[in-house]
Amino acid sequence: MSSLNATLATALSGLIADQGALEATSNNVANANTPGYSREVPVLVASDPVVDDPLTLGTGVTLQSIQSITDPILESQIQQETQSQGQLSSLVSALSQTQVNFTSSTGDIGTAITNFFNSVNQLSTSPADLSLRQGVLTAADNLATAFNTTANNLTAQTTSLNQSVVQTVGQINQLTSQIAQLNGQIASLENVGESAGTFIDQRTQAIDQLSSLVDVSVIQSNNTLTLTTASGTALVAGQQSFQLTTQPVASGAQDIFAQGNDITSTIVSGQLGGVLQARDQQIPSIQNQLDTLAAGLANAVNGVQTAGYDLNGNLGTDLFNPPPANVTGAAASLSVAITDPSLIAASSDGTSGSNGNADAMYALNSQPIIDGQNPTDYYSGTVFNIGNAVSNATAEQNASSLVLQQLNDQNSAVSGVSLDEEAANMIQYQQAYAASAQVITSINDMLYDVVNMNTLTT
Amino acid sequence: MRINPDPLPDLLAALGQNEQQINTDLEQISSGLSVNVPSDDPAAAAGLVENANQTSQADQFLRSIGSVQGELQNADSTLNSVTTILQQAISLGVEGANGTVNAADQQALAVQVQGIQSQLVNLANLSYQGNYVFAGTATQTAPYVLDPTSPSGVDYVGNSGVNSITIGTQFTVQTNLPGSELFSSPGNDAFQALQDLITGLQSGNTTAISTAVGEVTGASNYIDQQRVFYGNTLNQLDSQTTYLNSDITQLATQQNTLGGADLPAVITNLQTGELSRQATLESMSDTLQSDLFNYLK
Repeated sequence: MSSLNATLATALSGLIADQGALEATSNNVANANTPGYSREVPVLVASDPVVDDPLTLGTGVTLQSIQSITDPILESQIQQETQSQGQLSSLVSALSQTQVNFTSSTGDIGTAITNFFNSVNQLSTSPADLSLRQGVLTAADNLATAFNTTANNLTAQTTSLNQSVVQTVGQINQLTSQIAQLNGQIASLENVGESAGTFIDQRTQAIDQLSSLVDVSVIQSNNTLTLTTASGTALVAGQQSFQLTTQPVASGAQDIFAQGNDITSTIVSGQLGGVLQARDQQIPSIQNQLDTLAAGLANAVNGVQTAGYDLNGNLGTDLFNPPPANVTGAAASLSVAITDPSLIAASSDGTSGSNGNADAMYALNSQPIIDGQNPTDYYSGTVFNIGNAVSNATAEQNASSLVLQQLNDQNSAVSGVSLDEEAANMIQYQQAYAASAQVITSINDMLYDVVNMNTLTT
Repeated sequence: MRINPDPLPDLLAALGQNEQQINTDLEQISSGLSVNVPSDDPAAAAGLVENANQTSQADQFLRSIGSVQGELQNADSTLNSVTTILQQAISLGVEGANGTVNAADQQALAVQVQGIQSQLVNLANLSYQGNYVFAGTATQTAPYVLDPTSPSGVDYVGNSGVNSITIGTQFTVQTNLPGSELFSSPGNDAFQALQDLITGLQSGNTTAISTAVGEVTGASNYIDQQRVFYGNTLNQLDSQTTYLNSDITQLATQQNTLGGADLPAVITNLQTGELSRQATLESMSDTLQSDLFNYLK
């Protein structure tokens, strides 16, 4: 046998549960545009029944919990793809800046090389002509300047990449501190059995941001979350974060240290990975190709110059200041050693009218003097290399973009707030609330009848 | 199955890509090039570097050819003059060997031949744009000086050096003949022949005169043969000029193929892109504005 009070309690539980469900709906609607917010779903469970022989009577509804709907696997995939995206976009950005040095213009290295050899060819038509000799010196100067400018641009870019490293490490440290703090807040809620959905969303957001900066590996165990780089360097362990530091090394580059160890070469993904790849691999490779070209040209030209005779009948001297033996820095330091046009060794027999040596110097432009290639072929190869690097990275970045977009779409399908759905839910809970309220009104009337029972028998 | 309730990021991404494509098209239209940076087409960019180099080299070859053509033409016509005056010397010699002339006449003829000798020195010392043409590679000094103590009446102070210039890929041409080969070649020495004729006329020795006339004839024929070098070389320069001009035209076509923008295609692409952008914007404004909340009163 039931009692009216029990029925009242049941109806009341409906009011409370619907109110709570509306709270979740309201929270969803308010956070419809919050980045990283996962929609909340009220978990309504029928309350435990009581046994009142021979009947089993329900006792209403309990709002057991408000659950955030997430897909951890999707989130993990998004973090992985974000790392790739970060690495590729910063690599493309850096290399796009590098390749500007190799677009064809009136001052580019390829044009300067061609103009230099043209001036030598012109000199060979009248080797004693001082103005033609000056033409060769001017062309040599322009060639040196073209190399210097490009090398300096690459150095300047490296400097700015170093600054980028320092800034990014600062951002990483901020995020890891934030995540450690969130870990603490989540732990304190979950330890007392509460749902920590909002904090978990914030932490996921922070990990996503961190993923765009550096490669991150997430290990979830027993209510604690550990973050490391892909190679195992600890970033966050539970409530403790491990700060990274930057220090300049012998070459002047800013390297990244964790607990005293240089971890620079272990970082392969995220924006930091992309910047490091550009700074430590791609740009030095291009720089090396330039140095090889500059040194090869200078040495070959000097070789011919010193084998011939100048306008005064003396053995020729170096046209370019000799480049370093190990080639490094040759492009930045290339310079012309002669200012007197009569010192150009055009002659092969000591007379002022002989052009044999000038013709031999011209022939260099089609000889394999740079690593088995002629100067123009070597330069066009360098242009291809940098263009190809940018083109490949851009294609990969576009592909990664699409994948990330799709993953985000899928994630949004799982966790995104649909205003249509919330509106429908709102109506549902509102109706249910109204119905429960109506039940309470009826019970109220029935209670009144009970209380006033003996007065009705008249 | 739930679908993604938030179409905005995708639409924005599509708009972004669309804008990037429009920008690329505009850049191609304004520059006329499909390859503006190496990454646009790395292989074509490398090809364009080679193309620019070859075109510039071809232009230089044409300039160099032009620079030496003048000197070669001058040398050629000078040798024509040399042949003419040597023919005059031969006539004078023939006259001098004729039994009808007397010693006084022979002296007069000798003086005329001396005049021809001076003319030959001047012709052999041809200078073109500051360089002595027949001096070998010692071009800054006149190759022939009159020297009464020398058996041939002159001294050759030039050398036997020859110059060559490169006017094509691995294609060089010799650009001069030294005087030592043209005018003072042993056995065909024009100066020696003239000197012998002068000596013969001055001495009145008919045999000597006749012998000298034979020498001058031989030297004149020899110079005619050597002169062929100049004609041949000028012909080679002409052919090479024709070849280089057609090469330059081909290179220009290749440059356009490699890096020229296909303007009709790009413009069509641009128009399509702009239409697509319009459509996206319109659909965004429609779909983003309505949900169930709008319909609840």
